[in-house]
Amino acid sequence: MNNPELWRDRYRLMVLMRRFEEACLTGVASREIHGELHTAIGQEAIAAALAENIREGDALASTHRNHLHAIAKGIPLYPLMAEIFEKETGLCGGFGGHMHLFDKERRFSTTGIVGASLPVALGHAYAAKLRGDDTVAFAVIGDGSVNAGGFHETMNMASVLGLALVVVIENNEWAISVPFSAASSTAKLAERAVAYAIPGERVDGLDVDATSQAIGRAVAHARSTGPALVEAMCYRFRGHYEGDLDLYRSQSEKTDRTTTKDPVVLLRAQLRDGGMLDEATLERLESQVSAEIDAVLAQVRADKQPDRSRAHDHVFASGLKGAVA
Amino acid sequence: MTMTANPTNETSAPRNINISQAVAEGLRLAMEADDRVVVIGEDVATQGGVFGSTRGLLKAFGPERVLDTPISEMAFTGMAVGLAMDGYRPVIEIMFVDFIGVCLEQVYNAVAKIPYMSGGKVDMPVVIKTAGGSIGAAAQHSQTLWGLFGHLPGLRVVAPSNPYDSKGMMAAAVASDDPVVFIEHKGLLLERAQDFEFGANVPREAYDVPLDKAAVVRPGSDLTLVTLSGSVRHALTAADAAILSGVDVEVIDLRSIVPIDWETIGTSLAKTRALLVVDEDYLGYGLSGELITGAIERFGLGSLDYVGRHGNPGIPVPAALSLEREIVPGTESILNAIVRAGAER
Repeated sequence: MNNPELWRDRYRLMVLMRRFEEACLTGVASREIHGELHTAIGQEAIAAALAENIREGDALASTHRNHLHAIAKGIPLYPLMAEIFEKETGLCGGFGGHMHLFDKERRFSTTGIVGASLPVALGHAYAAKLRGDDTVAFAVIGDGSVNAGGFHETMNMASVLGLALVVVIENNEWAISVPFSAASSTAKLAERAVAYAIPGERVDGLDVDATSQAIGRAVAHARSTGPALVEAMCYRFRGHYEGDLDLYRSQSEKTDRTTTKDPVVLLRAQLRDGGMLDEATLERLESQVSAEIDAVLAQVRADKQPDRSRAHDHVFASGLKGAVA
Repeated sequence: MTMTANPTNETSAPRNINISQAVAEGLRLAMEADDRVVVIGEDVATQGGVFGSTRGLLKAFGPERVLDTPISEMAFTGMAVGLAMDGYRPVIEIMFVDFIGVCLEQVYNAVAKIPYMSGGKVDMPVVIKTAGGSIGAAAQHSQTLWGLFGHLPGLRVVAPSNPYDSKGMMAAAVASDDPVVFIEHKGLLLERAQDFEFGANVPREAYDVPLDKAAVVRPGSDLTLVTLSGSVRHALTAADAAILSGVDVEVIDLRSIVPIDWETIGTSLAKTRALLVVDEDYLGYGLSGELITGAIERFGLGSLDYVGRHGNPGIPVPAALSLEREIVPGTESILNAIVRAGAER
């Protein structure tokens, strides 16, 4: 830990991610955000590790639990939060919402369909091969999606074609109500990499440094050789979505994990106890981040929803209005 | 798109070529004109497609722009999504339309919806090239399914009936910034060039046939028969025979399922006041209902003396040809439908 700036930036980013999603939670309570909001609270260390390893030109295809990946990809917070709040100022003008975030220039996309981001990332990786550049395509997925057919097809094709694809699995142990232990034929997901003749490694996803190094190794392999897989272990702190009664797992498990395995809390203690950042510095940093997020939230809340007259726009790029309309 | 004849050709006189040659030529010219166009699918490169409709492309453009894939439709269809996001114009081939089930998720949740979900900021200039039609290949290899695609918002859906249209519509599909489902007909793909009664003369140079214009392929005064793809030839033969029954049939080749060319249909109905839809696809919840209801909505109940439809009544396509002929429109059954329509007016 001989790089204080790196560690401060890591902690700052993880706190910012946490505050961002906490701000989103208020939008559910106030009924400004509709549908199934999925937060990644508890998974910040993985997203922060991703952020360190993604270059601006790299592609990232994410999932329904995607806000932190958008932040990691460098999507500005204001249009990001505005889209999650369904505002006309949002990244997609309010047409996408929290599950459907797209930024063509930053090569970022998401999907609400489990496992569907993998083939899209494969396409980005193939585009890099066609262009002959050294960009990497990242697919970030949850442990639930590895049992969908698209995972197998994508891993196989990426390996056959030797594409620069990095698959990061956030193994948060739960696919809605089904635990990982009841869903996977293999004890680890990393070991499935063997089937595709690619490197795979499992890492403690609460440890930002270890996760960053593992992703870094995967990226290095991708740029030189072909696809690689990283399985980062974490825990889904909230229900599958906001409003999920979450009765399928025990309260004692949740209490234990959320109190002893919180990556933000763990890192804070590590930094303070290791003498990296003192209490006053940590508090100052936290209040700065809180103020930044509060300002974004206030700005977003003042914005309007898109005018209802625009509902027919964008079905076709050509302006074609469809068969029936 | 720009129209440039191949300078090495001594003549640009039209030739008799078949549909697979026409499609391959449309693709080749599009790929020559725009190096963002890539062709991806099973057996499209070395073999040139199981129907030959990508033949010659591998030699002309190499294995990266003409990619033979594993049997992994979900992966390579999603690949088209990522490629389109990166500025490419992918053409993916789903060998038979019957196989769309294994990758429909990427088709209707990604290809068709991303332009909308992104607020118009991400286009999906993807062509989903596939083959439909009942050819005696039974329930899993003889469907048409354009009604399925037509139901899903965000997809243009076209199905040409002859070589000339196939080449020009493929060019237009590749040039379109909208996603296009391009449904060839297996039966037509297997026809020889000289068997086409119309649209068989194909110029060598590049040209577009618009994706949203129906064609009046036989003028008539008594009944508007709207059909498409493989049924057009049967409808024309039946229409010629119907003269003996005193019914003068106007045959419209729809060409585009989404959008429907209501102008051409409306002009015809104003003359005939009678609409018969012939559809090789399943009738229920499909194109025939869309055309009849759409005509009534647009032109009024009072504008029509007759509406009728003839198509697959909603039965999996059987293996035995005797059974297939019972449920798939052919010359004889279309003639019967015309005569019924004439009698009921």
